[in-house]
Amino acid sequence: MATTQPETSALSRATVFDDRQTQRRSELSRSWRRFKRYRPGVAGGIVIILLVIMAVFAPILAPYSPTEVNTRRLGEGPSWSHPLGFDGIGRDILSRTIYGARVALMVGIISTVIAITIGVLVGATAGYFGGWVDSLLSRITDTLMAFPLLVLLVTLAAVFSPSLKTVIVVIGVTVWASYARIVRADVLSLRERDFVMAARAAGANDIRIILRHVVPNVLGPVIVIATLGIGGIIILEAALSFLGLGVQPPTPSWGGDLSSARQFIRIYPHMAIAPGMMIVITVLAFNLLGDGLRDALDPRQRE
Amino acid sequence: MIRRLLQGIVVIFFVSIATFGILQLAPGSPIDVMVGEAQVTQEQIALIEAKWGLDKPWYVQYFRWMGNMLKGDFGQSIVRTGVPVSTMLRDAASVTIRLNLIALVISTAIAVPVGIIAAVKRNSLFDYVASIGSTIGIALPSFWISLMLIILFSLKLGWLPASGSQSWKNYIMPVMVLALQETALVARLARGSTLEILRQDFVTTARSKGLMERVVVSRHVVRNAMLPVVTVIGLRLAFLMSGTIIVETIFAWPGVGRLFIDSIFRLDYQVIQAIVLLSSIIVVVMNILTDLAYAYIDPRIRVR
Amino acid sequence: MLDSMSRISGIMNLVQPVTRRQFLKRATAIGVSVPAFASLLAACGGDDDDEPTPVPPTPTQGSVPTPGPSGGATPTSAPEPTATTAAAATPTSGGGAAPTATTAAPAPTATPAGEQPVMGGVLVTQGHQEIASLHPDDAGPYVHYVIVRNIHEPLVDLDIDYAFIPVLAASYEAAEDALSYTFTIHDGITFHDGEPLTSADIKYNFDWYRDPANAAVLATDYANVADVVIEDELTVTVKMSAIDAAFLANVTGLLIVPEHIHSVTGKDNYSPQATGTGPFKLKEWKAAEYTTLSKYVDYWQGEPYLDEFREDIIPEGSVRAVRLETGEADNSVWPLQAQDNLRFINELSDQFDVNRAPGTAVNHFPLNNEKPALADKVVRQAMLYATDRDSLINDLEKGLSVKAHSGYSPAVQFYYNDDVKKYDYDPEMAKKLLDDAGYVPGSDGIREKDGVRLSFTCTVITGDQRRRPEAEVVQQNLLAVGIDMQIQEAPVATILEQLMAGEMDASLFNWTYGTSEPDCRSVFRSDGARNFSHYKNPVMDELVDAGVATIVPEERQQIYKDIQALTAEDAIFLYVQFWEDIQIWNKRIKGRPAQANNPAAVYPLIWTFWKDES
Repeated sequence: MATTQPETSALSRATVFDDRQTQRRSELSRSWRRFKRYRPGVAGGIVIILLVIMAVFAPILAPYSPTEVNTRRLGEGPSWSHPLGFDGIGRDILSRTIYGARVALMVGIISTVIAITIGVLVGATAGYFGGWVDSLLSRITDTLMAFPLLVLLVTLAAVFSPSLKTVIVVIGVTVWASYARIVRADVLSLRERDFVMAARAAGANDIRIILRHVVPNVLGPVIVIATLGIGGIIILEAALSFLGLGVQPPTPSWGGDLSSARQFIRIYPHMAIAPGMMIVITVLAFNLLGDGLRDALDPRQRE
Repeated sequence: MIRRLLQGIVVIFFVSIATFGILQLAPGSPIDVMVGEAQVTQEQIALIEAKWGLDKPWYVQYFRWMGNMLKGDFGQSIVRTGVPVSTMLRDAASVTIRLNLIALVISTAIAVPVGIIAAVKRNSLFDYVASIGSTIGIALPSFWISLMLIILFSLKLGWLPASGSQSWKNYIMPVMVLALQETALVARLARGSTLEILRQDFVTTARSKGLMERVVVSRHVVRNAMLPVVTVIGLRLAFLMSGTIIVETIFAWPGVGRLFIDSIFRLDYQVIQAIVLLSSIIVVVMNILTDLAYAYIDPRIRVR
Repeated sequence: MLDSMSRISGIMNLVQPVTRRQFLKRATAIGVSVPAFASLLAACGGDDDDEPTPVPPTPTQGSVPTPGPSGGATPTSAPEPTATTAAAATPTSGGGAAPTATTAAPAPTATPAGEQPVMGGVLVTQGHQEIASLHPDDAGPYVHYVIVRNIHEPLVDLDIDYAFIPVLAASYEAAEDALSYTFTIHDGITFHDGEPLTSADIKYNFDWYRDPANAAVLATDYANVADVVIEDELTVTVKMSAIDAAFLANVTGLLIVPEHIHSVTGKDNYSPQATGTGPFKLKEWKAAEYTTLSKYVDYWQGEPYLDEFREDIIPEGSVRAVRLETGEADNSVWPLQAQDNLRFINELSDQFDVNRAPGTAVNHFPLNNEKPALADKVVRQAMLYATDRDSLINDLEKGLSVKAHSGYSPAVQFYYNDDVKKYDYDPEMAKKLLDDAGYVPGSDGIREKDGVRLSFTCTVITGDQRRRPEAEVVQQNLLAVGIDMQIQEAPVATILEQLMAGEMDASLFNWTYGTSEPDCRSVFRSDGARNFSHYKNPVMDELVDAGVATIVPEERQQIYKDIQALTAEDAIFLYVQFWEDIQIWNKRIKGRPAQANNPAAVYPLIWTFWKDES
């Protein structure tokens, strides 16, 4: 089972002595090979590509307008002309579900990127430098994490007018703390490791060490969290819809549609199925992809 | 350690000021909710505001509140009269903690072994099932599961009461929902970190020394893999204070999460502030404990 | 971590300002063409029908018109005295003419005759939000009211047909000039701690609300009270500084607290030891979980059948429906979703009785008349034409709703004016109005004129599952005629404040503009504290002031009909509909009135109900 792993590691360690160009290329192709080996990861990747296609070509793929209301048919179940039926105010669910991919992907990916960027930089800097830098950054992180997110969100909802952009930014700047904390913890133990010591002894400057050695080494755990995170954020988008901070109607979003399905859950249960399934599938795809990527990119296999 | 404590106090101080500042930004006044449809005049609204000190500038309100807090007086809720905020919090916290501790214990007991086994038996059927199962567990919106459970167990089968907190039967559904998510999350993390550890040199070394796989796993891997898991569990404990709002709302458990959300919508400052402050204290304490746990598990880290 | 944030999504608390103050304010609504107090006097002194009522258990006080349908018989059959004759005809206060408990016509209860009441059992109802206070001053929210009103009692109240009935008052009379009212309470009423109720308690209650130092929510209700004079142990006279036609309706909200307790606790510490004269006394108050009342054995009207009355707090609408269906609860104070209601009406009618009554709070979009996009009357009229209210009512509300033609409900029969400008769904008419007024569609289809773009934001209540779909439909309706309505969400406290501060364009909620007591100063006066639409019109100001300056019913009737006509002509806000008030009861609860036009008046009757567990 797991015994193949050390071999791979040993192999990759040997490449350190190759020249840079070759090293990078071979690294990439090796990563790709490793990634391909993990079938579920490939499947996740394919699903995500399909989702992206769905989002980009939504106007072509959707049979009806996602916002057109036909109250006379509200709550109607699936039929040939409307394969997923109508929602609680009489809109075509299939069309809304297809368009919903746009919001889900944008919110999930962009805000995760924002959060990772802030979180990794703050965490790595804090963990690497220690001392007062660590104290200050950790205190900021702690303060953010100690804060009930809800107060922040309700306030932000009141101060800014909610929109897709607000949702993305708000999520991005509020969830980075968990990345920072985990990265810092990892860096704390990494810092004492040989290769960082060696780099420092070789006279590499701090920024270079952080970017070249420390950050790549903590990406593994970050990817694990980020893949979960994208799912979490897609669910959080549903939460924000309740909060009034969500994407505003009539823009279709899975989270919003799922939460409006809640009140109809006993009489029109079909309303909750499509957006719910899409959320589950998307989250699953991102997680599987993440697992695959981790195998492929894990820095400890690259050193 | 004393330094850590001092740092914690600084964080709490920052949180308290930030809370106050942000609440000031939030428009609206609890008076409007209190008054409802009563025929009132603007003067009368002003009078009620004066009674509650809401007409004072925020820093005046802040220092008055902070002073009381230091004396251990959390004040009175503007909405729920006649009960000190401390009593409200104590009642709500006992509910939330009861519910969440049970869920946390159950989920940790399931999730940690599952995660480790999944990692050790990587790419096996067990691993796939556990991975996909945990992903679905995370991805399912909890309000949806909760309502489905109620429809199934209360309405169709009639086995369990739909809400309330009086008997042990009331615990089953909310704990199921909470534990499902918790288990999914912790299992994923346990698997992820075990995989990391399995690849590290000292494990390879241990293996090459000819140690039996079981010994390697139990002696080296489990211990190290616990690092991120401890972090997560620590964070979850800390978040108990801001509660598990969905579950508390659907199953009608009067916990901290619901108290908090109700208070936000009524802008019940005293309650919001008390919850924020206490939860920040807990988070700080948990952070310190987590660091200690790290040091214990991974001796390479020295606690400064 | 990230996941824990997903937990915050539980904003399920529908803070709905359909608030229940209306129930305290309702007066003679159905078919009553007499001044409020006159009809009451008629009720008091009136009918001498001797038919036994099947409901009340062992009444101890002969002179009490029992809760239940008694009052219902009076208003329509009573002669129609003018205010003055009514006052003159004051019936022998406290005297022998007072009706016995068996006054009323046979009560049409939901229980077949011949069933024997049984003692014991717990009646469980459900609210959606914590019972934050047990003080009568905070009893506005319906969820509070049902509990507070069972602990405390008013001097007079409104019965299930909106007729005034005396409760603690054995009788009362108004002076000819309507500048003083005399109340005489029953002898022998005791508070739950055994202390007797006296006229000093009554005076204390009036005075407490009137004292500005107490900053009472209901202070304005008694703003025209000049003094309260104790005449004797059981009699007080309330002197008025000005005629206030709404006074008696306001007194229904004066739930009497005992001076000997309340003067010590004040309002802030009163709730844990709430004590009144009502049929149930406080047993356990867990604000966010449940509140339990147990029967007051020495209740002055007789011992209740039920051992306990409990209200559970269940925030989620679907869960309230499930609990009702499984029998965990017998009733829900806070309404269910429209679709769940329909299920109880159509599919579960063998286990449940459904009481349907027209609502009095208008479901409407208040529109800030001072915002450029909404300032033009023509635009607002076009919006009314553009809104397909028939679809909203028939499809979204499943027909359990009545179309609005102003802020007043058709349920308020006496004051209701059907002869107002009406705006039936006609998008072509809307476009024509806008075209004629010079609003032309821009490149994006949204109309504008002189730089004013017909675009505004409607802020709906956060998590409002019932009204948000409505906003989304109206959004599409308006878009079809070239008006852009954005939708946002905000907590109710924010909306109420920002709407009044003029920082919001529009919102969507239900509000009582006038009921059987039609006073609407706070919502229509230019300086009204609840003038959400920022409507400023001197003509309206005069009308609303005139409305409370007389107690002659026909005069008032004309004034309020004029107010409705003006509301419709100026299209002050986008009025949509009146939701039906749907009250569902498990059939095992017996002794209930068969039909209550005033659903709130059912809860004070709980002491006459019993639970048939078989």
